[in-house]
Amino acid sequence: MIEVQNLCKVYATPGESVRVLDGLDLRVGAGEAVAIIGPSGSGKTTLLNMLGALDRPSGGSIRIGGQDISAFTPEDANRFRNRSLGFVFQQHHLLPQLSVLENVLVPRLAGDWQEQAAETANRATELLGKVGLEHRLGHLPWQLSGGEKLRAAVARALVNRPRLVLADEPTGLLDPATSERVAELLLRLNREEQTTLIVVTHNIALAHRIGRTFELVHGKLKEVVR
Amino acid sequence: MTGPSFVLRGLWFFRTSYLGVLAGSALGAMVLLGALLAGDSVKATLRQVAQARLGKVDAVLTGGDRLFRAALADDVAAEKEVVAAPVFLVKATATEQTSGRAVGGVQVLGVDRRFWQLRPDAAGDEGFGGPGESEFFVNEHLARSLDVAAGGTLVLRFDKPAMIARDAPLAGKAAELVILRGGVGRICGDKDFGRFSLETTQLPQATVYMPLERLQKVLDLEGKANLLLLRDRMGAGHAALLERVTRHCTLADYGLTVKEVPLAKAVEVRSARIFFDRRVAAAIQQRFPAAQPVITYMANTIAANGKATPYSMVTAVDAAAAPFLPEKSEGVVLNAWLADDLGAKAGDEVRIDYYALAGENRLVERSARLPVAGVVDLSGLAADRLWMPDFPGVATAEHAADWDAGVPIDMKRIRDKDEAYWDAHRGTPKLFLPLEKGRELFGNRWGEFTALRVPAAVASPADVTAGLLDAMTPAVAGLVLRDVGMQGMAAAASPVDFAGLLLGMSLFLMVAAVALTAMMFRFHIEQRNRESGLLAALGIPANMVLRWRLMEGFCVVVAGSAAGALLAAGYTHWLLGFLETIWSGAGGARMFRFHAEPATLLTGMAGFVLLMMGVIWSVTRKQARRSASLRLETGTEEVVRTPARPVPWWAAGFALTGGGALAGAGMLGSPGAFFLAGLAFLLAGLAAYLWVLRRRVAAVTGELSPQRLALLNCGRRATRSLVVVGTLASGVFLVVSVAAFRKHGGNEWRERNSGAGGFALWVETTRAANRGTNNKTTDDVLNLGAARQRFGHVLPLRVGAGDDASCFNLNNVSRPRLLATDVSVLARLEAFPIKQVMAGCGKNWNVLREGDALRAFVDETTLLWVLKRKLGERLIYQDEWGRDFPIEIAGTLGGTVFQGSFVVDEARFLEHYPSAEGPRIFLLENGADVTDGRAVLQQSLADQGAVVTATHERLAAFHGVENTYITIFQVLGGLGVVFGSAGLGLVTARNLSERRDEFAILQAVGVPTGVTRRVVMLETGQFIRWGLGIGGGGSRGIDPARACRGRDRQVTAVDRTAGVTDSRQRMGVVVARVAASMPRRARSMGSVIIDERKGRAAATRLRLPVVGALGIRAAGIYPEIHDSRGLRQEPLETRAMKTKHARSFDAMPKGYAALCREAPPRPIHDDVAYRNTVEIADAFAGFEDRMTADQIDYFDLLCELIQKYEAQTAKPVRLSGAALLRHLLEEHALSGAGLARILGKTASLGPMILRGERKITADHALCLGAYFGLPPDVFLR
Repeated sequence: MIEVQNLCKVYATPGESVRVLDGLDLRVGAGEAVAIIGPSGSGKTTLLNMLGALDRPSGGSIRIGGQDISAFTPEDANRFRNRSLGFVFQQHHLLPQLSVLENVLVPRLAGDWQEQAAETANRATELLGKVGLEHRLGHLPWQLSGGEKLRAAVARALVNRPRLVLADEPTGLLDPATSERVAELLLRLNREEQTTLIVVTHNIALAHRIGRTFELVHGKLKEVVR
Repeated sequence: MTGPSFVLRGLWFFRTSYLGVLAGSALGAMVLLGALLAGDSVKATLRQVAQARLGKVDAVLTGGDRLFRAALADDVAAEKEVVAAPVFLVKATATEQTSGRAVGGVQVLGVDRRFWQLRPDAAGDEGFGGPGESEFFVNEHLARSLDVAAGGTLVLRFDKPAMIARDAPLAGKAAELVILRGGVGRICGDKDFGRFSLETTQLPQATVYMPLERLQKVLDLEGKANLLLLRDRMGAGHAALLERVTRHCTLADYGLTVKEVPLAKAVEVRSARIFFDRRVAAAIQQRFPAAQPVITYMANTIAANGKATPYSMVTAVDAAAAPFLPEKSEGVVLNAWLADDLGAKAGDEVRIDYYALAGENRLVERSARLPVAGVVDLSGLAADRLWMPDFPGVATAEHAADWDAGVPIDMKRIRDKDEAYWDAHRGTPKLFLPLEKGRELFGNRWGEFTALRVPAAVASPADVTAGLLDAMTPAVAGLVLRDVGMQGMAAAASPVDFAGLLLGMSLFLMVAAVALTAMMFRFHIEQRNRESGLLAALGIPANMVLRWRLMEGFCVVVAGSAAGALLAAGYTHWLLGFLETIWSGAGGARMFRFHAEPATLLTGMAGFVLLMMGVIWSVTRKQARRSASLRLETGTEEVVRTPARPVPWWAAGFALTGGGALAGAGMLGSPGAFFLAGLAFLLAGLAAYLWVLRRRVAAVTGELSPQRLALLNCGRRATRSLVVVGTLASGVFLVVSVAAFRKHGGNEWRERNSGAGGFALWVETTRAANRGTNNKTTDDVLNLGAARQRFGHVLPLRVGAGDDASCFNLNNVSRPRLLATDVSVLARLEAFPIKQVMAGCGKNWNVLREGDALRAFVDETTLLWVLKRKLGERLIYQDEWGRDFPIEIAGTLGGTVFQGSFVVDEARFLEHYPSAEGPRIFLLENGADVTDGRAVLQQSLADQGAVVTATHERLAAFHGVENTYITIFQVLGGLGVVFGSAGLGLVTARNLSERRDEFAILQAVGVPTGVTRRVVMLETGQFIRWGLGIGGGGSRGIDPARACRGRDRQVTAVDRTAGVTDSRQRMGVVVARVAASMPRRARSMGSVIIDERKGRAAATRLRLPVVGALGIRAAGIYPEIHDSRGLRQEPLETRAMKTKHARSFDAMPKGYAALCREAPPRPIHDDVAYRNTVEIADAFAGFEDRMTADQIDYFDLLCELIQKYEAQTAKPVRLSGAALLRHLLEEHALSGAGLARILGKTASLGPMILRGERKITADHALCLGAYFGLPPDVFLR
């Protein structure tokens, strides 16, 4: 599913050049769940941004489902994110002006979806049911708790039936109990929807619970053997 | 969920945030639309005034001082398509009997019922009760001026018009004053034709209406009129009207009469103007080639043989018309009476003394000596009384002593025998001379002939009459049909461009409003950065998001524009009210009427929306370009780009440019030099600010204090700081510098080179000052008598065709009023500042006497703003007979009392207007007290209806208009500064908002709020100081006097200083008020509650020096040190940070501490640190001689660190023998052949060794070691 080879990312600043990723390799199979851990500033988010075609690598290649996403045009990247990818961020990033259900349907705004609007809405409702928000469909984000917001964000990440879900410290801002529920949710959806899941986290326990765990050190991934 | 619904949802949800944008849009639209609507209102007002002024009049037949039959109106109107109204117009002085209050220049209109049918709201042929027999109607303007109401009594004083110009010789009485009294029956408003005037101006004319017949009667001109108002009912057009008028004109309308002269067997044509206009004479001679001209004139003296005969008529005629004259002889023929009186006979010489015109207005006595060819008996044709035309004051005199010929006559010289001759023979000529000689002696600008005699054998009187009607046209007779309807509406249709003027004045306010709105929109968009980032992360194309943002902006801007359109109505009223203060002295009634053209509104709104969308697009596009990841991370935080290195020479360059612009003010013109120099000085100031700011920031050393922290914060976002300072500086500059252009009257008028030309008083009389009977050879043209001695030079000016084009007239005047005077006097006095002359002309008044076309000088203000013409261009005028002729703009005058007029030479003027009345405007020198002089003139010239104005007051009135515009500009500019200051507040608030974490942490670690507030105040204060300093300094730099090179002499240095200081003080107050609001903002910012995340983030930003400066020992707790001048915790990203600048020695700080802050020296642990340290050390390398002691220490430290790292990491170099050899050969510039020579072998061996085809042997190594001074074994590795 995901094949990353010799991935490099260098940032140039006026005083220096910083090599964040330095020949990183990674292989993840379809439907597999993977956790990436590492200290702050080690490049975890950078890696996730590049896997999500939000950023372009300085060197190396990223193939997802056989496509070299590092060669994508901006339009290709948009289409890829809109149709094949789900993002879950540390912060929920729900749009305050939209209801929970509408937030989940936001990806449809890109247009050109083959699926009928009603069908997507049904699935969004179903997903919100799966994350336990079936009674919150018409609520606005400010009316939700932190955990609920994140669960809504998870539902949004899955509304386009993504082949890959990228989660950037999804439980970083949650209390332990809520973190546990969100982690459980992600894993359940991974199993049920058969999506590939890559989770970046500081939480070692969560990482181990997810499955294969890699540590990002000095720009390279090293698999952590339990 | 669709795009539009998403947009609507955004609009509703962020409505509070959008309120600011909406308000800004409304303000900008209000200013823009207000200016446009003010332009519309002025246009509409002028249109209404033109309609009220002309009513239903389409054309006017006018002939200056020429009169025609009032019955012509009946003839023309006999055909129903035309309404014609005869009018007799005279200029008078009106006095209210009770109060004695008087107004000069009043137009008295003798009218009948037909006139009222042409009033604006007259329907069909309905009648209008005109004034009764002894009654006057007056218009509202005159009623207000005299404070008279219906029932009051007016006394009118005016000159009796004459058919012959009063200046002409033998024109009869110089003037005859008519005094008329009457009750005021009605006050006529605009609808009652109270605005009637043929002058193209929006200002009302004082008018009295009286019955036409009564006026004709008191003028002894029954049945005459001098205006014929025409209404073209069927819209047949001007040409058809002219044809109709021509068809109905009779000889009486042309001022011609036909008389049979039996003794001469001829039919004589005479002119009511005595002298035939040259055009009329030519037309008659063309129609009747056999017509014989006759010139009869008065000789003051005819002398011969020591004897003299006074005051005799002499006639010049060809022998064909007077058979007693010898053919082809220059001799004269005396009648027997004269020959007897003088004792003269054929062969004697006679001297003829006669009056001739000199200096266009004065009579001088000249003499001619002619031989006597013969003597003729006083009988037959020689005794015909009809030789003499009907000279006014002479023809009807009973006795010679009763003559009132309009020339000085010494009655004592008239003898009894002269009286007897008059009694017996009247004006029968005593002397006949050849026609050509007579033309030479007696011809003048009004004509040469006093009669034309057509032989009876050629044509009967009826034939002559018919022939004349066939030959003549109104234009030839000097009657011009003016298309006043079209001209009036055309002048009103494109008046002074107030919309453009006000737009220009509002520019800064608009820019401020637009910038403020754009800034608010940008802040709003930045607030939604994460939303945009999320949408991008979800695969929504950036263009689509941009489109939604623009749609939201569009909706807000359109709503704002609509609100602005509503506000614009009130704003326009305010603007118009302000403008009206210019004309407040002209009546007191509200002049401008609000008017809004839907097209203007829509166009203005569309333009504004387009402008705003352009600005919004540019700011939104920038945001949309940023990557999704960055937006997701940064939220509202703005990315700070690495500041460009300061370029101090920019400041010097701009300052030099400004200096150059001032130096070249003569070439660029004062406005160009003003704006170029101003812009350059502003940019120089801003560049200097940036440079100083960065230098000071770089030089900050030691522990930080609030002052230093404020300084560092100002340098943190140098561009933002620059925008704020720039906005303030621009506003202050505009308002202050424009204030310096205010003009104030001083004592400069006394100088010859001033706008008053050294003349103290400007006198305008209602009655033209023609030559008085007794002063025709003196310079007392005003007939002041003994009072004349009080005044120095008196400069008379004739008033010619055209309209007032001064800044008081809003209409589009295409032909300014002509003022004609003897320019040689002005040249001799070197009076008035001549600013520019056209190519090829000297800077002298005398150039007006040269050239093929009539030349004119015009005030530069009139040329630039009203005529919008250039030097050398020609304007087409119509002469006395309606023929086009050009007037060339030969030069400009600087701010003179002649504003709105063309000044031309009198002699050249009279070539085109020979019948022009005498001067009505006079400039007088007055050495004594001006007030006293004015009082004397007012008393002496009361009957002339004189208005006496001090020249400095006239100049001040003109300046008042300019000053009003400047005031509007200042008010609008001041508002712009207020909005600019609001922008400053907004930016400050934004800065503070972005730094709330910092403040929160300071509060958390115990820093008193007062310290935080002080830091903020210091930052804001710095912006204000620099803004005021740069703006004020720039305005001082472009001292208008220097920009104008002393040409605007009315602006004194004291006035300028006062204006500048005053304006700067006002600006200081405005900005200080904004500054005063900052502490409140700071306080609110300081009370931010730290939450867990924010506290953590802020902690990482806290800078240890700050903590140290505030007495807090926090070192070690927050190990990261971030420089406020650099990046703030932004994620590293290629796009944002790809620019890499090499360090230069000049940019390096001088102090040790500053160097350490710029690049802290640390032990080198890796390659990156090594490269960075080497880069810094490289910046110093080669500048050892310029380094400070601190820099040397710092440099040495870096070198030690580098050496230490190199020592740890450098590996010994082990070169192969071949590589070493290649290196050595390269160093010594040797080739393979050279190597062969060293080895003492064949030439091919060297290249083969270098190519590796042969190895270095021990022998070779020995040779090489010896040659290069190295151990041989190194070549064998």
